[in-house]
Amino acid sequence: MKADVEPRPGAASLKEAGEVLLSVEGVSLSFGGVRALRDVSFDIRKGEIRAIIGPNGAGKTSMLNVINGFYHPQQGVITFKGKRRHDMRPYLAASQGIARTFQNVALFKGMSTLDNIMTGRTLKMRRGILAQAIYWGVSQREEIRHREAVEHIIDFLEIKHIRKTPVGKLPYGLQKRVELGRALATEPDLLLLDEPMAGMNLEEKQDMSRFILTVNDTFSTTIALIEHDMGVVMDLSDRVVVLDYGQKIADGRPDEVQKDQKVIDAYLGIPH
Amino acid sequence: MEVFGQVLEVLIGGLLSGVLYSLVALGFVLIFKASGVFNFAQGAMVLLAGLALVRSLDFLAARGAPVWAAVILGLVFAGVIMAVTAWLVERFVLGPLVNQDGLTLFMSTIGATFVLEGASQMIFGSDVYPLRLFPTDAWFLFESVFPGGILVNKLDVWGGLIAGVLVAGLAIFFQSTKTGRALRAVADDHAAAQSVGIPISWIWFVVWLVAGLVALVAATVWGTKLGVQFSITFLALKALPVLIIGGFTSVPGAIVGGLIVGAGEKLAEVYLGPHMGGGIEYWFAYVLALAVLLVRPQGLFGERLIERI
Repeated sequence: MKADVEPRPGAASLKEAGEVLLSVEGVSLSFGGVRALRDVSFDIRKGEIRAIIGPNGAGKTSMLNVINGFYHPQQGVITFKGKRRHDMRPYLAASQGIARTFQNVALFKGMSTLDNIMTGRTLKMRRGILAQAIYWGVSQREEIRHREAVEHIIDFLEIKHIRKTPVGKLPYGLQKRVELGRALATEPDLLLLDEPMAGMNLEEKQDMSRFILTVNDTFSTTIALIEHDMGVVMDLSDRVVVLDYGQKIADGRPDEVQKDQKVIDAYLGIPH
Repeated sequence: MEVFGQVLEVLIGGLLSGVLYSLVALGFVLIFKASGVFNFAQGAMVLLAGLALVRSLDFLAARGAPVWAAVILGLVFAGVIMAVTAWLVERFVLGPLVNQDGLTLFMSTIGATFVLEGASQMIFGSDVYPLRLFPTDAWFLFESVFPGGILVNKLDVWGGLIAGVLVAGLAIFFQSTKTGRALRAVADDHAAAQSVGIPISWIWFVVWLVAGLVALVAATVWGTKLGVQFSITFLALKALPVLIIGGFTSVPGAIVGGLIVGAGEKLAEVYLGPHMGGGIEYWFAYVLALAVLLVRPQGLFGERLIERI
């Protein structure tokens, strides 16, 4: 982790004018006849928390899958760190600094919390397969060095007590936290969170909000999150993009979006 | 005393040959644990590794290479062949099946089995090739205690030693290296593994390479015992009851399962055989496996699967 990075003074003003980290332009994605995304464009600025909201089936998760390369859109351009691409690939996305969590927790269930988070260090570890096969020497030293970084994350997320527990046995709220830890271990520039608070109680939500804000402040990690809890979205995010039936219907500050008639219609339905 | 000596001899012989079953079963467990794929092709890979080794040894010996050089070169050659096989399997069989169900992957390994069996015999020949890497004579132990002593096959002891070293080495590799962790991660969840930048195709290559090298080790021992020939692929069938008894997901399970099968079938052959008309050795392991399936479906050491409904 970039633990030595101080919280930047005037972070808020920087976000206002911040440079664009990622932008999607005219992205369309369809599966056979189902049009999951239609001509969606928006950008994510460096250092901000960007929320993606919308009713069920609006295409939010599809959007994240396009950004980290699981889906390849039929049309559109994705620009990340100034590089324009037609689509991303999962390995490319990860190596360029995009990490993510999943809607239905995707952890390695048979492995311990520690090992799960250690997998996040995969791209940071440079020793070749031969050194690993011999293990003693350079490979062991590298393990220990990265283990330290992982222990910092474990401390930060307050999951010390479950370090050695197989994650399959953990309650849902803690699994979500381990998943966040694994994403953080990659030291991402852009962190995609797919419903980080789904199925959590109030206390767990507060904890998770605190972690997200701290990650954003302290490590200046840019975050894009999908969330259904409007209270959380309004509190956390700097800007919100709203999707409905695969189309962007609103984009702006939380208070603006909240008042937008199209958004209210999408959520509450229009009387016929 | 004489009866006790005989029981001991049968038991030791059985346990040691059981270790050799474990050696083959180990190849299955490794791939299954590491990639969630039940690799039906493991037997075919033992054949391929054995043929590559024995044919290159013959080739070098015929050209007057010293024995030690021939053995080293032969092992390297066979290792390279297994690496090429791993690459081909990843590229053309598993690669296109990322994010597919475990059963689909299993079916594809059945296809790979036939291709490997056919190709290896086409390239290297289909005769019985004798392999002499380990001593095949026997020791007679405790001759002062038991009349005639206890016969122990040197080859079986070698097999046991090799299996032990192999298991210890692989345990460290899988538990505490980046690649070992990545292997287990890929077995659990393809998408999540990709999201942290684990290159799945590389991992699958490594899995098949490791399985290929384990097959090569098994081939050196079994080839010395039986000669390298097509029937060596049937070892895969013998490994099945070992896996069922020990549990598919457990390395110690493969070892203990092998010991139980080895000792069980030898004891049954010697002591039940005369009463049942003999030939017990051939089916005893399967009956034992069936019994285990009824009582403890996950095997002795397997992880119990709890499905949330």
